[in-house]
Amino acid sequence: MTASPNGGEPEGGARAAAVPIAGRAGVRAWWRTPTARRLAFGYTLLSPAILYVALLVGAPFLFSLYLAVSDASVGDPFAEFVWLENFKAAWESPTFWIALRNSILVTVVAAIFKSLLGTTLAFLLLQPFRGKKLIRGLVVIPFTVPSAVSVLGWKWMYDSQFSVVNWALNRVGLISAYGTEGWPIWLGQPHLALAAIIAVNVWRSFPFTAIVLLAGFTAVPQEVIDAAKVDGTTFMQRFRFLVIPMIAPILFVGLLFDTVFTLSDISVVLLLTNGGPGNATQILPTLAYQIGILAGALGRGAAISLFLFPLLLPAMILLLRNLKRREW
Amino acid sequence: MNTLSEKPIHDRVTRRDFLRTAGVGVAGASLGTMLAARQAPAQLRGTSLRILQWSHFVPAYDAWFDKSAKEWGEKNGVRVRVDHIPHLEVPARIAAEFAAGAGHDLIEFAGLILTGLYYKSLVDLTDLSERIGKKWGGWIPAAGPISTVEGRSYAIPNFYILIPLLWRKDLFEKHNLRPPDTWEACRVAARTLKPKGHPTGMQFSHCNDANHNWRALWYSFGGRETDPSGQNILVDSKETREALRFAKALFDEGMTPEVFSWDDASDNRYQASGVACWIHDAISAYRTTEDTNPPVFQHTYIGLAPAGPGGKRVNVGEPTAYAIWKFSKNQQAAREFLIHLTDNWKEAMVASRGYNMPLLKDGYKKPMPVIGTDPKMQVLQDFPDLMAFPGYPGPYTTPIQEVTVTFVPADMFTLVARGQSPDEAVKWAMGEYRRVYAKHKRA
Repeated sequence: MTASPNGGEPEGGARAAAVPIAGRAGVRAWWRTPTARRLAFGYTLLSPAILYVALLVGAPFLFSLYLAVSDASVGDPFAEFVWLENFKAAWESPTFWIALRNSILVTVVAAIFKSLLGTTLAFLLLQPFRGKKLIRGLVVIPFTVPSAVSVLGWKWMYDSQFSVVNWALNRVGLISAYGTEGWPIWLGQPHLALAAIIAVNVWRSFPFTAIVLLAGFTAVPQEVIDAAKVDGTTFMQRFRFLVIPMIAPILFVGLLFDTVFTLSDISVVLLLTNGGPGNATQILPTLAYQIGILAGALGRGAAISLFLFPLLLPAMILLLRNLKRREW
Repeated sequence: MNTLSEKPIHDRVTRRDFLRTAGVGVAGASLGTMLAARQAPAQLRGTSLRILQWSHFVPAYDAWFDKSAKEWGEKNGVRVRVDHIPHLEVPARIAAEFAAGAGHDLIEFAGLILTGLYYKSLVDLTDLSERIGKKWGGWIPAAGPISTVEGRSYAIPNFYILIPLLWRKDLFEKHNLRPPDTWEACRVAARTLKPKGHPTGMQFSHCNDANHNWRALWYSFGGRETDPSGQNILVDSKETREALRFAKALFDEGMTPEVFSWDDASDNRYQASGVACWIHDAISAYRTTEDTNPPVFQHTYIGLAPAGPGGKRVNVGEPTAYAIWKFSKNQQAAREFLIHLTDNWKEAMVASRGYNMPLLKDGYKKPMPVIGTDPKMQVLQDFPDLMAFPGYPGPYTTPIQEVTVTFVPADMFTLVARGQSPDEAVKWAMGEYRRVYAKHKRA
């Protein structure tokens, strides 16, 4: 042992080497440090949510990935690994490309109309008028009625023979009589059928857009609007440079939900046209359902539905990154 | 010398052979006794039986079925529960039960026949099928392709929905048209009556009716979907092109474009509204007209399946069949209930207002219930030998199921009606068939 120059005590380094680290007073194990405890507490609180996401989102997603690379069938308990065979099969099918094109088209066109109509409705509902609460309650009806019921109602309205839409158009002289060339067959002509599907989707979802926007508009402080008015801004300038940036986070979340709902919505197409005539209105979810469930080829059905993922992923990343940036 | 006697006895009759023979003998004897007594054995008492089936188009049939099942259950001490779901939901529900390995004991395939898809998970019912067939004069030829896989029966056919021709006798007589007993006569009638405000209509859309209507025309023209083995595609033929050319002419001359938007009920409404000169549909259209428009019903007649150019008549209907899951805990009760059901096919036919057509030959002894006593419906008694199902003349295999649910044959006709040449349409359809078959072979 080395003696210290000022009193015979060992030097600090030698003293430290002599005492076992674990036994040193004031040095705690890492899991006892306040940081570790705080982390442990935080993760404990988070764990139900993580478990929930892992079980209800992660597991089905991983299972669908497994199905997509296997030859799984609804009637066979054994499946073999087939690599990317199912994706290749979808890629080679002309119907798949029609479905892919229609999925994108319906989502984009419907989103444009929903934005326009939703914004208009939200502005209208901001105005003071008698019965405003009642009207606010009524506008959500399309969004809240079960889709099977509302879409079947639309199917009847689009009926080739008894269409109330055509009857009304005929009465005001816009179209000619039933049985003539000028009588639109809403669900029988490829472009009209796609338009009819988009119209029902817009009808069902634009109240949701309006409600999201309404929540945003009411969150903008009136003083800010008034100050901009004093500065001499026009309505469009206030909307473009003031309101939109302020409500952007809400808008992004709304757009995110709407895109997911529209891309994955199977009911409108299934009930109105079942993908026909020909395959003119086929979308990815209906094609996946037909092949995966009705035809029993689970693997190929899963592969087709997974094509939605690369479509949605960039959109989601873009929207969420934008949202995060704005939060800072 | 008898070669058998040279073998030691343990080589001739193994323990497994003995048990198998004895088991089959005991099962056969007990089944025979049950059939004679029309009562299930005592060991079923206290058990339960769950049945999954579609909601029949004729609600009275469901009421009869439920009552009959309940009475059978009470008589035999079995708690019977029947779940009816829309026919379009049946495949998804069956897939879910398969995945879970639990659910109903007895399941019904309706329209879409899933025997080929699930047979590995279904109970082999060959013995039951043979016994039922023997009792009722045998099965009609169309019953085999929907219930058998590799020579074994994994389902018991129940009934099929017939798709005859419904035509307006008053309109035909007024314009001196002969009854529509051939497709050519149908075309002449449609061509003559369309300008008078009475076109015809067959669905060029994604619905069940499109699947069987165009197949009926196609097969009547000599077209074939597969060979009898079901392994080879025979779509690309001159008969198919003839059928496509005819369909195009029928559409151009006798239909309006609304057929591209029709669902399964649209032609019923078309007939009931008094517009159609003829339609090709199930007798639900006949009943709808009877219930909603008696003056039109008075002149609505039922025709035999129209003959093609060579005189061939083929009708494509919608079959139903029952199967038992291997995981079912009450397979014996399910088997005995199927015996009860087939024993009561007459009552079922009456309850369904003549909608349920038997797949057993004795069912065609004239006069048949309901249809044999109605002068306008009597022609339906001559349909059994004309019946065929998708895949004709081959069996209803899983690739055929895929081309059916993705409407490939119906779309082939639609492409031609919309202006593509028969050659282009056949080429497209062959591409789809080949892709489907290749995928199934790889799997």
